[in-house]
Amino acid sequence: MKKQIDFVGKRRIFITLSLVLIILSLVSIFSKGFNLGVEFTGGSEIIIRIEDPNFTEAQVRKIVTPLGEEFTMARITRVKSLGDPPNISKFSIVVSKIYEAKEKGRVTEAINDALRKANVKGEIASFSETGGTAAEEIKRGTWTAIIVATIVILLYITIRFNFVFGVGAIVALIHDVMITLGFFSLSGYEINVPAVAALLTLIGYSLNDTIVVCDRIRENMKRYRGRSIESIVNQSINEVIVRTINTSLTTFMVVFMLFLFAGKVIKPFAFGMVIGTIVGTYSSLYIAAPIVIRWVKPR
Amino acid sequence: MRGDRIRLFVVLAVIVLAFIALLWPQRKPYSGIGRIFSNIHLGLDIKGGARIEYLVKVEEGVENPSDVVDDVWTVLRNRLDAAGYTEATLRKVFREDKSYIVVEIPEATDTVQAEKLIGSTGILYFAQVLDDTQEKDPMKDPALTSEARRYKAEWLKGRDGKWYLVRKEILGRKDLVLVSPKIVSAVPAVDTRPGRYGYKVNFELAKEYANVFKKITQALVVPETAAAPPNKRLAIVLDNIVQFAGYVISVIPDGRAEITGNFSLQEAKDLAAILRSGALPAKLVKVSAGWVAPLLGKDIIDASLKAGIWGLILVLIYMVAYYRIMGVVADLALLYNTFLLLGVLAAGRIILTLPGIAGIILTIGTTVDGNVIIYERIKEELRSGKPVKTAIAAGFDRSTVTIVDANVTTILAGLILYYFGTGTIRGFAITLIIGVLGSMFVNLVFSRLMLNTFAGLIKIPREAVERGSSR
Repeated sequence: MKKQIDFVGKRRIFITLSLVLIILSLVSIFSKGFNLGVEFTGGSEIIIRIEDPNFTEAQVRKIVTPLGEEFTMARITRVKSLGDPPNISKFSIVVSKIYEAKEKGRVTEAINDALRKANVKGEIASFSETGGTAAEEIKRGTWTAIIVATIVILLYITIRFNFVFGVGAIVALIHDVMITLGFFSLSGYEINVPAVAALLTLIGYSLNDTIVVCDRIRENMKRYRGRSIESIVNQSINEVIVRTINTSLTTFMVVFMLFLFAGKVIKPFAFGMVIGTIVGTYSSLYIAAPIVIRWVKPR
Repeated sequence: MRGDRIRLFVVLAVIVLAFIALLWPQRKPYSGIGRIFSNIHLGLDIKGGARIEYLVKVEEGVENPSDVVDDVWTVLRNRLDAAGYTEATLRKVFREDKSYIVVEIPEATDTVQAEKLIGSTGILYFAQVLDDTQEKDPMKDPALTSEARRYKAEWLKGRDGKWYLVRKEILGRKDLVLVSPKIVSAVPAVDTRPGRYGYKVNFELAKEYANVFKKITQALVVPETAAAPPNKRLAIVLDNIVQFAGYVISVIPDGRAEITGNFSLQEAKDLAAILRSGALPAKLVKVSAGWVAPLLGKDIIDASLKAGIWGLILVLIYMVAYYRIMGVVADLALLYNTFLLLGVLAAGRIILTLPGIAGIILTIGTTVDGNVIIYERIKEELRSGKPVKTAIAAGFDRSTVTIVDANVTTILAGLILYYFGTGTIRGFAITLIIGVLGSMFVNLVFSRLMLNTFAGLIKIPREAVERGSSR
């Protein structure tokens, strides 16, 4: 018999740790908030026209970055309209700030100044207030989706396993998403569309992990009737631990490489996945299973 | 084994189809390894697309112009989603007290094609038909032109090729105008009245328009048995084209109406689609059309792709190091699933964006995971002293339930995201579902075939050997 690690006996410590993390996350979320990407918040779109067809996004970024904090995270893309002369280039600069009429004048001035100083012939073609590309999409139906998803998943797990396991899975899921959001808030990483995708991926990941553990508990409950639920849960976790670690480790390798080396826009996504993988693994071992015990065990 | 022969056939057939979808020559050829990706449609963030800006012409006197812009947004979003362009972006833009909508569509190579996707930019209204003509061109015939002037009406071409003289103000009354009403639903249905055949269209107006519609139908109603005067027809006009003209045979009090006319199924479907999509609450005027470059520069894409590939290589090495021959099978399964997924993306014309790639990474996770679950089971079976082939069969039998349960929950979550989400969230849900289905197939079919093939090479764990020899 292989030596068993006592996961279950130390559950109080881990539940406390999780509670502390969740409280920290909530405090940060409510006090510091999120650094939301411009696709959610909207902001301003400035289109500049430059009399040089070979001008690049990077050159534009260099010129506008010193103009203010909002420009460091600006989305800069080249745009072209039908009927534009061939010897110009146009760039759309989107920042997450909405300017008052007075500020608008100041920013216009500053950009024109910066262009002049950099010896670039160009000017602002238009200056508008813009909505976010994903703002509406997130607003619409998101809450309904979350509630319906919770109910459907709970229902499925109740049918396939039992209600208690369903509650365990949902609590673990909320736990993972909350803590990951907390890390986003604390670190100041921007929540952009890929970051939201990371959070959604995390949902799949967390559920998958929890269900594998629960599946083993279900099997062992049948096999070892009469044994204490603590010992069954503990044995089950020990039996699946290799799988849990291997799966998490391999996913972790991919997202960690992305986190280290991928470009700026992808960083928030990779960050979310890195945190999510760790928290998701931890919660399936230390959070979902103890809930099962607490519930099943007669007090 | 017979099971293996079927598995081999399915596995080969699926991957051949995937490669056909990937390599089918239809688009500009890439060279070298990039060829694999040339049939995959890429999103705005990776490849850019068409960019069209519309001015939203909100009529004067509208109480809440921003609500109108919101409604326009919703109509366009639904149209693009219905056409499969979930990855197109739409945003509201405000400049000098005017509202604009900027539409960016990936994979639209020319702006004309993009405009077609966006669809009708005009508004839909109901109007009274005063006259019609088949032969004469009312633009050239002075008698008809003056007739139009007399009634303050205009001649419009119909979908059926006839010309119709229509007037927005029904019976000339200002309170009988129904412009861009919100249409809650419009569906084709079978005409069930005795003696009739073909299809009809049922539609329902939003409550706030029901009262006006009731008054209009009261004004124009012609009992079915009475003689039909030519100037009492009701027309549905969209984009200045008379889409349909017919008589009102009863007063409609609640906004629920049906249009009958012995339509064929296709005609009924088209008319229903016009009613549904025509609900733009304001006219759109194109301000500019052009292109937008990818948001992610080439350097970012290259760096990320490289990082992803290195991560994948690490995974491949780790699996072999840990599971030996079974690890090789897992690696093959991973590669198989990746190409399968790319093939489905190419065949389904699904647009790949950064969030979509996130879905693919989860797929890598679930594929490895499925294999690991199976291997750990097989190892357990081997430790209990079973011979390799039996251990493989037992391992699969017992892990199938686990894998199905774990993946079905993810698929359920994906389906719900798809149903309630719009735009890019929907796109993400699609990749997620395809990926998870693919990994389930690979785990349960491909890996089993491979393991059975390589069964002879699987090492029996030491514990089992020791127990065997001490016996």
